Amino acid sequence: MITLRGVSHRFGGVHALAGIDLEVEEHEFVAVIGRSGCGKSTLLRLVAGLLTPSEGRIVVAGEEVTKPRRDVSVMFQRPALLPWRSVLANVLLPIEIFGLGGHRDRAHELLDLVGLGGFEKRLPHELSGGMQQRVSLCRSLIQSPRVMLMDEPFSALDAITRTELSEELQRIQLELPRAVVFVTHSIDEAVLLADRIVVLSPRPGRIHQIVDVGLPRPRALGQPELDEVSRKLRGLLSEVTA
Amino acid sequence: MKVVLPVLGLLAIIGLWWLATIVFGIDAFLVPSPADVVLAFLELPGYLLEQTLVTLWEAVAGFGLSIVVGVPIALLIVSSQVLERMFYPLLVALNAVPKVAIAPLVVVWFGFGIESKVLMVVLVCIFPIVISTASGMKSTPTELVELFRSLDAARHHEFFKLRLRHALPQIFVGLKVSITLAVIGAVIGEFVGASAGLGFVISQSGSSANTSQAFAAMALLAVISVGLFYGLGYAERKLVPWAEEHRTPA
Repeated sequence: MITLRGVSHRFGGVHALAGIDLEVEEHEFVAVIGRSGCGKSTLLRLVAGLLTPSEGRIVVAGEEVTKPRRDVSVMFQRPALLPWRSVLANVLLPIEIFGLGGHRDRAHELLDLVGLGGFEKRLPHELSGGMQQRVSLCRSLIQSPRVMLMDEPFSALDAITRTELSEELQRIQLELPRAVVFVTHSIDEAVLLADRIVVLSPRPGRIHQIVDVGLPRPRALGQPELDEVSRKLRGLLSEVTA
Repeated sequence: MKVVLPVLGLLAIIGLWWLATIVFGIDAFLVPSPADVVLAFLELPGYLLEQTLVTLWEAVAGFGLSIVVGVPIALLIVSSQVLERMFYPLLVALNAVPKVAIAPLVVVWFGFGIESKVLMVVLVCIFPIVISTASGMKSTPTELVELFRSLDAARHHEFFKLRLRHALPQIFVGLKVSITLAVIGAVIGEFVGASAGLGFVISQSGSSANTSQAFAAMALLAVISVGLFYGLGYAERKLVPWAEEHRTPA
């Protein structure tokens, strides 16, 4: 579904990413972890078509990425909701931008799916941070994306909400599987959610190692098997910064 | 409470003013007492209200025209760096020109009628509107702009569905500054050359030492300004209920 071949990126004089080769299969959940400043977000923005790579090729669904695509959705660190729009109108934003009609029933379904049924008419400032990020998730899903790109979507939330949302995301990925690239700096989140975990080394960002999680789903936080993978990742991350 | 406190403040000031005119025995043609001002109004209520409507109309028409012209100028400035660099300094220079100094020219060009007054109002109003609209649109959070980019949104979507809407609370700040200036602009125009309006009444009664009538006209100007200002505040609460300032008292 996603192919990166020899992708490098420079901002001015800064070499952010170098020689990235990566394949993400249809329905595969890939987490990308690494210290801050290792180019995780840059990688995501390149796949999203928000940035153009300095070198290399990125192919999504058989086509080279030159600009953002409608079947690729991006979810950001912050909910990025329009404060003047109701929850429902925020979820329907992509549909409106694409010039499509309808989808209201679908929007209601998605809001029900994340437990926000009944909040359709509220304004974002009336919701908690976790609820706002759930709305943002619905907005990503309404595009019926083949690829979902998530840039530390839960990092601005408190620990409890964060755990809740990662478990919810696991459930949604089981119900509506698609290719996901999930950038995070939380090892636990990565191990809970991902099929494979890409560990990036910093400056310039390179793939240090790719870890296959290979555990059956659904998984639960605190499961001993997960801890084993977490320990391995912690080891890899300390190698990377040394 | 919302109405009681301002009214109390007003009554206190009027009381002090009245007291001062009595205690210091000031002549009515220098500083009239509140009673003199009310009497002056009651002498010619129809005439004064008519002049009030003239000034109100000039201010509102000029204000409306400033929005109609100012917002598109702001859109152009935000949409193109070239245009911004070309015309922004000119706009600042235009604003720096003392409007009182160009008022006579404006009257020479546009005559003694309403046109010259409306133009004066536009000249004083447009700058705060352009600035607040442009800076509001530019301060749109990056994550929202990135969201629109990630949806491959057309430029007009980014401008009208996002940037302009996001700028609304800030635009209202500019509008509130402008609306009070609007009345001043109209009065400046009327001072220089007019045959109607409250500014005309003030300059007429000044030259005939009818200070009470001048005060009555000024009081009416104040009523217009306050009314327009709070009317705008009401519109703001209806149109931008999400704005921060309505949620947390400063």
